[in-house]
Amino acid sequence: MPYGSLREFLAKAEAEGQLVRIKEKVFLEPDIRAAACAAAKVPGGPVLLFEQIQGYIEKQIAVNVHGSWQNHALMLDLPKETDIKAQFHELARRWDRYPVPPKRVGNAPLKDVIIDKNLSLFRELPLFRVNPMDGGFYLSKACVVSRDPENPENQNVGIYRLQVKDHDRIGLQVGAHHDLAVHLRKAEELNMPLRIAIAISNDPITSFVASTPLKYDEDEYAMMGAVRGEPTEVITSERGNLDLPAGAELIIEGEIIPRQRFVEGPFAEYTGYYSTSMIQAEIKVDLISRRRDPIIFENLYTGLPWSEIDYMMALNTSVALFKQMKADFPEIEAINSMYTHGYCTIISSKMRFGGFAKTLGCRLLSTPHGMTYPKLIIVVDDDIDPFDLQQVIWAMTVRFRPERDLVVIPNAPGSTVDPAHLIRGITTKLIMDATKPAFPDMPLADASIVEIPKETPSWIEKIMERMKGDI
Amino acid sequence: MDREDYGKDEGRYMICPRCDFNQAYKIFEAPVDKCWEVYRCPRCNFTWRSTEEEEVTNPKLYHSKFKLSERQIEGMAPKPPIPPLRRPQEVKR
Repeated sequence: MPYGSLREFLAKAEAEGQLVRIKEKVFLEPDIRAAACAAAKVPGGPVLLFEQIQGYIEKQIAVNVHGSWQNHALMLDLPKETDIKAQFHELARRWDRYPVPPKRVGNAPLKDVIIDKNLSLFRELPLFRVNPMDGGFYLSKACVVSRDPENPENQNVGIYRLQVKDHDRIGLQVGAHHDLAVHLRKAEELNMPLRIAIAISNDPITSFVASTPLKYDEDEYAMMGAVRGEPTEVITSERGNLDLPAGAELIIEGEIIPRQRFVEGPFAEYTGYYSTSMIQAEIKVDLISRRRDPIIFENLYTGLPWSEIDYMMALNTSVALFKQMKADFPEIEAINSMYTHGYCTIISSKMRFGGFAKTLGCRLLSTPHGMTYPKLIIVVDDDIDPFDLQQVIWAMTVRFRPERDLVVIPNAPGSTVDPAHLIRGITTKLIMDATKPAFPDMPLADASIVEIPKETPSWIEKIMERMKGDI
Repeated sequence: MDREDYGKDEGRYMICPRCDFNQAYKIFEAPVDKCWEVYRCPRCNFTWRSTEEEEVTNPKLYHSKFKLSERQIEGMAPKPPIPPLRRPQEVKR
């Protein structure tokens, strides 16, 4: 059964032993960040629900909703012990159901309270500083909805970091390669404010798909429907004709001020480093709609990997790249783009001919996500499971020939928050071909792979049974 | 307490821990027990809560690597870049 709201998911997580309630009163700093960081480091890390916040009444905070493979499996309505590769293939299977268009509803709890005068984000949400040197209190897991000003049928739902700077002002980080940047550019060329809506505390599939690198013309709501197996419910915004996820706890509506930038950041990013301060776009908030109290504020801890963000952006990034590439190259078996948001990406594929691995590496760099993020691309044969790093490193040690199999592309586009850059947004891409040479490339001299004895799989089962003491 | 109750009262200005601007001011206080206050700096947009660690709230103890000067702010690059305005004939109607 898919979840229509964060609350429904929390109930499921609790029933499955994946939710821990923190009943004692906590301080916004440093308690929330410290506990959220810990939750993702506990094996099978649970969701944490803080029930009492110092200084607030009827506000609760949820963290680590996506922060373990167990939570991730529950999000997909799979048994919580489902392994990573099985979750990858299940997600890939559901991807093919796209598009499942959303269903519009006339009313939802998020419209219970509407505030358009004297509003204050500090009053409505128990904001906290995610990491000590962040430049302010961030909304780190909110879904931002916008439309293309020239082609309004193109709507985008994405997660962007949002710095609450005042009661009604929010800084917004958007990279030039993001879909929202296209909407903003067009609005700014026309000197128009861009209407946006920000959905806080959503069911986990909504934020999962919002953080997926879909193609510009792909509809996030229709992909959410594909992943959950039934249409996502949406409701129209109060202003600006935007579709909102109907299960959200709270919606912030406003507009991006055109052609102005304001100091934003730093913020501890998924890289495990603080980004720098820059001048960035800013939102003027003019309306808040929400459920009645108590409000559950869901936010994301980002910090030294692995943290919740690494789980949230792992398989959605991997499957998006897999589907985009497999459309051109059906030989591809799987893609692992889980490390630092895909900075390291491993492609497993059958080889069509000699040099094909380099073709695949270059194709990755022309996907929407691949344009910027991946900078270390490893291509392995289809006998290597890209999610098993022992196998990947083995392939690199015995199949990779640096003098023939290394491609270096300098001065290529890169992530602007990559701490290794010399020029911000410019990087060097590295493709490592760790595949066996295919014709007409020269085979390795005397290379014969040792096969696993054919009786070994049944022995593995026998040994495991005996270890459990069943026999 | 409503947000209008917080003015930029000159007598209550604070020094921003990050950029040392002397006109930071209180914007909010805890709805329950007034057990903390939130301040903001209008120059560098830094916000902080009175109960945070001194390395965040005290200008003298703020991490030097994260300090911002007026000059640094003036030299910051815009993200994303601001595009040129379209000429009227390019505007799609």
